[in-house]
Amino acid sequence: MKIKKGKRINIPDLITCIAFFAVLIFMALMTVILPKQDFLEMENSYAEKFPELSAKSVYNRSYMNKMEKYISDHFAGRISWIKGRTILETSLGKNERNGIYILDDRLVEKIPEPDYSSADKAIAAINKFAKEHDVPVFAMIVPTSAEIYADELPENAPNADQKEFINYVYRGLDRSVNTIDVYQTMLSNRDDYIYYRTDHHWTTKGAYLAYAAAGKKMGYDPVPLEMFDIEHAGIDFIGTFYSKALYDGVEKDTLDFYHLPGGYPVTEVDITEHFGEEPEVYGSMYFREYLDVKDKYSAFLGSNVPIVDIRTGCEGGRLLIIKDSYAHCYAPFLTQHYSDITLADMRYINISLDKVIDTSGYDQVLILYNASSFMTDTDIRKLGY
Amino acid sequence: MVFSSLTFLYFFLPIVLIIYIFLPNKINVPLGSERSLVIPARNLLILITGFFFYAWGEPFYVIIMFISTLIDYTAGRLMNKYDNDQRIRTVCLIVSVCMNIGLLAVFKYSDFIFDTINSVFNSHITNPVILVNRKINDIYNFGLSEDRVALPIGISFYTFQSMSYTIDLYLRKIKVQKSLIGFTSYVTLFPQIVAGPIVRYEDVAAEIEDRKVNIGKISEGIAKFSKGLAKKVLLANNIGIIWTEVKAMDYTQISAATAWLGILAFTFQIYFDFSGYSDMAVGLGKMLGFNFPKNFDHPYMSKSVSEFWRRWHITLGTWFREYVYIPLGGNRKGMAKTLRNLLIVWGLTGLWHGASWNFVIWGLYYGVLIIIERIGFGKILEKLPKAVSMAYTFLAAVFGWVLFDTDTIGKAWQFFKAMFGAGGSFADSTAKYILSSNVLIYVICIFAATTLFGNLMKFFKKKKKHIYEYAVPAAVICVLFLCTSYLVDASYNPFLYFRF
Repeated sequence: MKIKKGKRINIPDLITCIAFFAVLIFMALMTVILPKQDFLEMENSYAEKFPELSAKSVYNRSYMNKMEKYISDHFAGRISWIKGRTILETSLGKNERNGIYILDDRLVEKIPEPDYSSADKAIAAINKFAKEHDVPVFAMIVPTSAEIYADELPENAPNADQKEFINYVYRGLDRSVNTIDVYQTMLSNRDDYIYYRTDHHWTTKGAYLAYAAAGKKMGYDPVPLEMFDIEHAGIDFIGTFYSKALYDGVEKDTLDFYHLPGGYPVTEVDITEHFGEEPEVYGSMYFREYLDVKDKYSAFLGSNVPIVDIRTGCEGGRLLIIKDSYAHCYAPFLTQHYSDITLADMRYINISLDKVIDTSGYDQVLILYNASSFMTDTDIRKLGY
Repeated sequence: MVFSSLTFLYFFLPIVLIIYIFLPNKINVPLGSERSLVIPARNLLILITGFFFYAWGEPFYVIIMFISTLIDYTAGRLMNKYDNDQRIRTVCLIVSVCMNIGLLAVFKYSDFIFDTINSVFNSHITNPVILVNRKINDIYNFGLSEDRVALPIGISFYTFQSMSYTIDLYLRKIKVQKSLIGFTSYVTLFPQIVAGPIVRYEDVAAEIEDRKVNIGKISEGIAKFSKGLAKKVLLANNIGIIWTEVKAMDYTQISAATAWLGILAFTFQIYFDFSGYSDMAVGLGKMLGFNFPKNFDHPYMSKSVSEFWRRWHITLGTWFREYVYIPLGGNRKGMAKTLRNLLIVWGLTGLWHGASWNFVIWGLYYGVLIIIERIGFGKILEKLPKAVSMAYTFLAAVFGWVLFDTDTIGKAWQFFKAMFGAGGSFADSTAKYILSSNVLIYVICIFAATTLFGNLMKFFKKKKKHIYEYAVPAAVICVLFLCTSYLVDASYNPFLYFRF
């Protein structure tokens, strides 16, 4: 570029040009130079890999889309940029981010109005299952933190009425299905630490309260709380809500294991990750390797898989749980009352459940979901296959 | 590629601009005795980068753009060569116009035409373009859409630009462009290729030949670009989220306040999205040494619908005036013909925005309002207080946007009813929440859509020139930082004018 002599350069113009390009070039260089992470731990997702150039990937545009995702996933200071934005927005009074409400001391999920016609399909499938199987069926739909702390939400914030939803489901179930109402249990213990502040699960304490409340209907005497040794196994746990909101203003969570000295031991945990393969055999329900990574909740029975089978030293009956991940920290309490607990996750089972598990061999079936996942679920209906 | 993406902002833009700045307009390569080859270096760079920029989003249909450019270029050269033979010139013009309109007919309107035919005659005729796609897929396995015809990005813009060249050449308003590189660089000029402004060849003819780039212009361009980026990323995207939510609701159930808040959000979203994109284009043009025409001038401050359309998407209005309205006789052939011409122009303006009856009706709605203003209401508007005529125009635009963005006429009607309370309540908790959690963004949008902000800046510039000048780079960096923090995790970054 020619800078003509005699023509004065305006200093602010020069500053604008230099500053603008300096920021662009600096950030671009940092993005190229800085080491890349394969896994975006804060967001709990895999980062895009550098795309491979081929005629086909260019032609169908996947190369460009992946390149844009790659640049965004590996952009220098990515997490700081996003957190900065969240801080800015919350300080301007916006208490909602990426489907998460930011409350004073916790994050909760923004749950839209449920689709009742979809729930009808799940209800019909459960009814059909109960009718076709000669085994007592129990159902427990657990409210989530968005419902229990609904009064702390921003004023007028849209929030599905989970109480109404749970009642709707319970009313729709046949009388042969025993419904277990834990709504009141959770609500009356809301001042206790029963839900994680940064995650969508209930805490071990929350699960314990539901386990204790269910004892009467399911026919066991719950172990008193004071008998347990509580181990604060996972500290500084930040869960899925945090990953979505990336908001640092709420306290991190603690994940507890409840051990029962002198209780019935777990003898074997069989985990079937893929059908047709032999299950992996473990000796404990707790997968401590997860305590060192972000996804700490998976320390309970590992990540979501189709079938988990827990054998215990107890001589009680056999229980089949059809469940979402709320069951993972709930099942350990049941080891004191059942000899065999099988957890089946319908999201990963695409054929009739009877073809996967000999359902006739069980003494009880428990359907355990949280209200939020039941609302959006499209897999329970496979029970009717 | 879109301007509001990290890929463009941090990689494409600095690389291209820095090479561009240090290249001369032309490079002379001596070829032995007395002869030399002149390489139009900057135009060549514009051509290559434009190709890359366009192909990034449209790797297949980029071919169509080049074919159409080649045909228009050849038509221009032939018109020039047979300057005395009016018949040949006319044939060239007809070929160029038919080819451009034909591209639009095939890629933009064929589905719409066949859908309409099929619904009127209750028939099941398949769009021949789809049949061709299937054949191509059978042979080459290209994976072209076999359901609906995919709209090539920016086709409505570049066909109109190319036509402005051949038509003006035919009318002898401009000189021929003899260099293929020069002409192609006009079409592929990346700032305006996908979403305008619709730069007529006449506007940039001189700059294609020779242009100057200096610190002052680059800095001016950066400021304009940043302003556009802020409008798009900070305002349009943020207020657009509200409309996305409201748009998806059941219009028979929403309260009047929700409907109003929703459509107001869209009113601002489309303005800041499109005018922001135009500002970015104008700014990038400045950095490259081009002066593109202004595309928006505070349209929501207009005091009549006629004025609104002189301030909204100005380059499109100009195009239709120059190449449709005036050739049809404009307003010089009596009232009846004037009205006919207005309805044609507005029907076409609507149709240009998209292949659906909603858009046609939206265009005709404006045609009718403008006719009403022309036959007398305009005079009344002038006498009314400014606030009243402005409120009328703004409301007319808001109602227009309902037609524009509710997808079907049935839904538009439902939405209108909801705006007047057919959903039951006046204001429910949804509306209260939308307002209370977004009040700031509404206020900023209102403020930014008026001339108030611009006037304040002018006043500031006049009174405190020194501070103002140093505030510009500070503001640019602020905008860059803020926008980056939004773009890094852009869960919502649509681009409204891609479908046109």
